[in-house]
Amino acid sequence: MSRATQAAVAEIRDLRVEVDGRALVDGVHLRVHPGKVTALVGASGSGKTTTGLALLGEYPAGAQVTGEVRRPGDGPVGYVPQHPAAVLNPARRVSALLDDIARPQVRHLPRAERREAARALVLRALEDAQLPDGEVLLSRYPHQLSGGQQQRVVLAQALLLGARVIVADEPTTGQDALTKSRIVEQLAAVAARGIAVVLLSHDLDVVRALADEVLVMREGRVVESGPVERLWTTPRHEWTRRLLDDQRAAPPDATAAEAGRPVLEVRDLTAVHDRRTVVLRAPHLALHPGECVAVVGRSGSGKTTLARCLAGLHSDHDGDILLDGTPLARSLRRRDRSQLAAVQYVFQDARAAFDEHRPVLRQVARTAVRLRGIDERAATAEASTTLHRLGLSERLAHRRPGELSGGELQRAALARALLARPRVLICDEVTSGLDTVTRRGILDVLSGLVGEEGDLSLVLVTHDLDTARLARRVAVLDAGEIVEQGPTRQILTAPQHPFTIALMRTTERLETGTRL
Amino acid sequence: MTTQLGGSAAKGRGAVSKCGSAAGRDQPRRRSTRKTAYRDTASGRSFVARRLLLGGAQTLAVVLLVFALTEALPGDAAVALAGDQPDPARIAAIREAMDLDRPAPERLADWAAGMLHGDFGTSLTSGRPVTQYITDAFGPTLLLAALTLALLVPLGFGLGVLAARHEGRLVDRLVSSVTLAVYAVPEFALGVLLVTVLALKLAWLPPTAVGYGTELLGHPAALVLPVLVLLARPVCSLSRLVRAGMVDALASPYAAHARRYGVPGARVRYAHALPNALAPAVQQLARTVDWLLCGVIVVEALFVIPGLGTVLLNAVAERDVPVVQGLAVVFGVLTVLLNLGADLVAYRLTPRAGVAA
Amino acid sequence: MTAYRRFALGLTVVAVPLVLALLGPLFAGDAGPRAVSFTLGGGHWLGTDFVGRDVWRQVLLGGRTVVLTALAATALAYLVAVPVALVSALTRLRRLEELLMRPLDVLLAVPSLLLILLVASVFSPGAAGLALLVALVNVPDAARIVRAAAGEAAARPAVEALRMQGETWWRIAVGYVGRSALRTLAADAGIRLTGVLYLVSTAAFLGVGVAPDAADWAVMVDRNRTGLLVQPWAVVVPALLIVALTTGTNLLFDAALEKKGRRR
Repeated sequence: MSRATQAAVAEIRDLRVEVDGRALVDGVHLRVHPGKVTALVGASGSGKTTTGLALLGEYPAGAQVTGEVRRPGDGPVGYVPQHPAAVLNPARRVSALLDDIARPQVRHLPRAERREAARALVLRALEDAQLPDGEVLLSRYPHQLSGGQQQRVVLAQALLLGARVIVADEPTTGQDALTKSRIVEQLAAVAARGIAVVLLSHDLDVVRALADEVLVMREGRVVESGPVERLWTTPRHEWTRRLLDDQRAAPPDATAAEAGRPVLEVRDLTAVHDRRTVVLRAPHLALHPGECVAVVGRSGSGKTTLARCLAGLHSDHDGDILLDGTPLARSLRRRDRSQLAAVQYVFQDARAAFDEHRPVLRQVARTAVRLRGIDERAATAEASTTLHRLGLSERLAHRRPGELSGGELQRAALARALLARPRVLICDEVTSGLDTVTRRGILDVLSGLVGEEGDLSLVLVTHDLDTARLARRVAVLDAGEIVEQGPTRQILTAPQHPFTIALMRTTERLETGTRL
Repeated sequence: MTTQLGGSAAKGRGAVSKCGSAAGRDQPRRRSTRKTAYRDTASGRSFVARRLLLGGAQTLAVVLLVFALTEALPGDAAVALAGDQPDPARIAAIREAMDLDRPAPERLADWAAGMLHGDFGTSLTSGRPVTQYITDAFGPTLLLAALTLALLVPLGFGLGVLAARHEGRLVDRLVSSVTLAVYAVPEFALGVLLVTVLALKLAWLPPTAVGYGTELLGHPAALVLPVLVLLARPVCSLSRLVRAGMVDALASPYAAHARRYGVPGARVRYAHALPNALAPAVQQLARTVDWLLCGVIVVEALFVIPGLGTVLLNAVAERDVPVVQGLAVVFGVLTVLLNLGADLVAYRLTPRAGVAA
Repeated sequence: MTAYRRFALGLTVVAVPLVLALLGPLFAGDAGPRAVSFTLGGGHWLGTDFVGRDVWRQVLLGGRTVVLTALAATALAYLVAVPVALVSALTRLRRLEELLMRPLDVLLAVPSLLLILLVASVFSPGAAGLALLVALVNVPDAARIVRAAAGEAAARPAVEALRMQGETWWRIAVGYVGRSALRTLAADAGIRLTGVLYLVSTAAFLGVGVAPDAADWAVMVDRNRTGLLVQPWAVVVPALLIVALTTGTNLLFDAALEKKGRRR
């Protein structure tokens, strides 16, 4: 005990944070050591962020706090939030806050030298955060930076501050594999400088690759903690086991490919934005009845555009999209009811895709009313059954979208599309932004659909290879081109195209990281 | 990782508001377009170009509108304008003065060309050139407007920042309630009440500017009430806007981040939060010009100040169309220009394209 | 808590002029014989005005036009602005959107009172004409604000989801986009009504849309100013009523919106 306490640079003892009588975290002990990565793992709402912010001495408004938080000589603690753009002032250049942080550090110098010394400190911090062309960057505004640059600028602020502890909140959520691995490298480099990193994440791959110590949190309590290897090999708590089990992907679909006419076929598709910029070229793509195809790529690769073209939501394109051999109109409005019903689309942001004023059940039922012409009562009954089958209780279905969680809404969105009895269901990043357990639930629902819904075909648009494993075939998109497509097993084990190889390698490295 | 803005925008559909058009009346306008776009120099230039184009269109529209309104007179314009003194000589004189015998497009062209050279036509009632009316009355109005603006900016910003600093406390509640209450009061009602109390009952200030002519500057006491009345509404709206912007900015994650990293409170307030509250306030200033104009007309009538507003009101009462037209064009173009300027300034202040416009 | 108190305050402040304006004409009674101008007493509660009429009776009669004109103008402005805004927010035809919104942008540049005076110099609008004019002046701004709110709703995936469900244009436009813009509309309506009250009474003060001897609070303020020294009541009472009306309306809407905002 005493040995560990000496080594710790920051410590939380028996922390309890309570808001309106409800404990956000309770009885949390945490010790962070220089140069080590301590990960807090758990689903959203498990109290990770509250614990992390407690290290910074920040608590939710109106919180009652008991316990003890000891920080390095009450020195500064750095913070890299989930959305770095939010902590960058949109109206000031990048240099503004950095200069303000550096200023007190040069106060001992003569007035004339201060400015230059401060600038040198800032530039060095940027370089340490792997932003070599600092001079150029400093005169930019936050919105002119890429997401990665924004994150590194926020990291540079913490480094410049001389923080001995840095709290990183969900740094990899919603990122593709290549970006993730870069963030992992970066945080590893930070730890290598002797800084204690506290990683809040539900991304278990990243945790395994980075962390030394892991604390598994659930409902505000730490259910298990220990070195990462021990936790992964012999989890003691049942919740940890479940969390890790959820990580295992479903095995690739093994059913034989059906020959015959594809249900949906794409020929010579060229999609443009703003009437000029070509964002996607797809010479040929086919989807067979009962088949599940994954479209994989990084953000901005054109995969969402492809999905939107199929669904008739992006009409700015050339080439043909054939449904059972008949060309589909490019715009939704020119598709008739049966065509509309045949190709359905599920949106990435389920919350934004629902009308917040009306109960979910009624919105789901409308599909059957409008697209299949059945009466309101029958439609509601069917909607209720479908929602129940996807794991949404009657009680929840009668609520408005605002009262449902992201995962529940995504199930409702799937139900809404299924009520059209579609031939093709396009799922656009339906699991991104969800925590591991919720995501697993949605993926289970999806894999169930392919099996039980007769010849329903699925298009899974994703940046996440784990999700892609659900599919029988994979098409890989990069910079608007389909660079490779083939059976999932083949793509995942023996990729041909350099981009796919890079994508696979980084994913593997993340997954196997500390296991090796 | 590529372009991810704000972190919350749904993928591929990050809506960024882009440049809209004229200055916002009460709220900054937003106009979403489909594509995520960064403001680079090209789009910056195109915003300025588009805004200038709109300004041009607005100027043109003002001129056309002013002209078209007089064309819309029912029946014989000259007879209609002669009103209750329809003797033939007067009708003929009006017809002569306004060239009513010539086709409308020709008259429009002449009128517009004349204005470019500073010739606004001649008055129907006095026969004096309209330009002379304008130059004679310009001084008092300019004085009023300049004084008001000079006081408005520090007062509006000062009160706004003050209230935001003490959000929820007595000072804030006081400033907020008073500005909310006074904000809506028409100048004439406020004016007569102030005159009744301050000038007639307490006799601290002269009730009107009668007798001072255009030599207002020599009688500062006579200016106090008019400027006070003129200031009332714009100060309220500006300070409320600044307060709201400051409260938002001070509660934002970036302000919290700056505080977290040890930046002193005053610096967070003025160097980090205030710039974010500035752009909407500048646009509100432009909106204020419209109010000042309304206010000037009322205040000049109320305090008998021989400025442009008084000239306009007299001309309206006498149906002296050329004078009304001339003044309307001057006021209209002035408004367009000031709005244009404010939009461009707000655009400079808002690095992210279009949040300002 | 404070929002409720402010709500009550606003209600109290606005109640006096509103009740006087709406019910006053019922109790005004017949016009008595004209007395001497600007006298106090003599059976006249608030004295007499510039032509020797009873001020109290004029006060009772003089609110209705202001309130009704303002309400009509506000309603009329939205009647035009809301459809224009909804169509331009939902149309995918850039041309149509430009056609609808550009002219309004241009109109925004003209100062409102100037436009009213300009029209007044040529025509002599009555109360209806004034309502029409004030409505017209308010259309561009109202359309712009509703357009912004509707545009935000129209850009959400929910609209595409509704289209995916084969919903009709009407149901999407009115049932979803319109409904989403409702909150903004309610907030704007309060601000707009106060602005309209301001414009209507200021125009009346300047003699637009009213007869020179009309029973109208704003006209009373203007006309009785000459007797301010001898008979202040003829000016102060109507001026105070206008102040109470505008301030009360503003306070009321502000508090109502804040309460609503907190509940959500």
